[in-house]
Amino acid sequence: MKDAVLASLAVAGIATAAFAFTPADTIRMRQSSYKQMGSNMHGLIEQARSGSPSISQVRRHSTVILRFAPQVLRWFPRGTGVEAGVRTRAKAEIWSDPQGFRLAGARLLVAARQMDAAARRGDVAQVRAALPALQAACGGCHESYRGPAN
Amino acid sequence: MAIWDWPTRAFHWLIALLMPALWWTAEEHELELHLLLGQVALGLVLFRIFWGLIGSSTARFASFVRGPRAILAYLRGGKAGIGHNPLGALSVLVLLFLLVNVIGLGLFASDEDGIQPGPLSHLIDFDSARILAERHEQVFWILVGFVALHVAAILFYLLGKRDNLVAPMITGGREARAGEVPMVAAPAWRFLIAAGAASALTWWIGTSL
Repeated sequence: MKDAVLASLAVAGIATAAFAFTPADTIRMRQSSYKQMGSNMHGLIEQARSGSPSISQVRRHSTVILRFAPQVLRWFPRGTGVEAGVRTRAKAEIWSDPQGFRLAGARLLVAARQMDAAARRGDVAQVRAALPALQAACGGCHESYRGPAN
Repeated sequence: MAIWDWPTRAFHWLIALLMPALWWTAEEHELELHLLLGQVALGLVLFRIFWGLIGSSTARFASFVRGPRAILAYLRGGKAGIGHNPLGALSVLVLLFLLVNVIGLGLFASDEDGIQPGPLSHLIDFDSARILAERHEQVFWILVGFVALHVAAILFYLLGKRDNLVAPMITGGREARAGEVPMVAAPAWRFLIAAGAASALTWWIGTSL
């Protein structure tokens, strides 16, 4: 009985937390997270192109990207498209083509893991080799599921 | 009578083709192509600067860049020789200056995702690269403004002064008028030096220094 009460309280708590974020909050948060990912992508390329790359910097960037990568698919609950009434470039295809979107998310996760694994091994050649797949994962998803800037 | 050598004409028309292509690829987010064409533009502009130092007579800065007195005299109806007139020389300098600027900014700019940055973007941080991307676009539109002025001036010469400036830029020459001295063409080895230096510099920058 006590367990059941605790369990329902926990469920209620989680449900409340889920509703605590308005669609506008979700949109703002994901935009800020994407900006951080972009900044860390730039950092990765900075190191990959450098004649004397710092593997600790590479690791710092790959860690951030790998932290965000598994979350991306959760940043787009229904109702956080243009209908939310705040500025978002999320296209309706995210919700009309959930399979394709999930695939794009999976591709990002695979590429981010590969990059982070190469960074942990401290292998600069592998970091450089892992970069194009990560760039393609980001860019490919944007092409299909993100609208133009203006 | 020869007025423009072929490298000067080729540079002119290639830039005229590249500008809309570069605008379009940026607009469509075709950044791989944009970066490639941008490097071609860089090579061309570097070549034109070298050609302005060692090229044929009408291509050389020293032969056509004039001071304010010559410009005023020309505006008052003075005669100009073949090639750029003293006022047109200003247009050449402004257009080249803006081209250098827009390309230079592009080298350091980054797209908003940080996945297709310019060849020198890794030398600065992401936020700076994003600001330079904005400047890159702004300077591009200033350049477009001066291109419009350039085209308007050509139209003014064509319609107002009955002087077709476009045909010589295509064919390289026109019929001689009294007292005109034709262009002195630069030998091929000078072209090889200018083109070689421009290619080498572009390659060096393109492979990220």
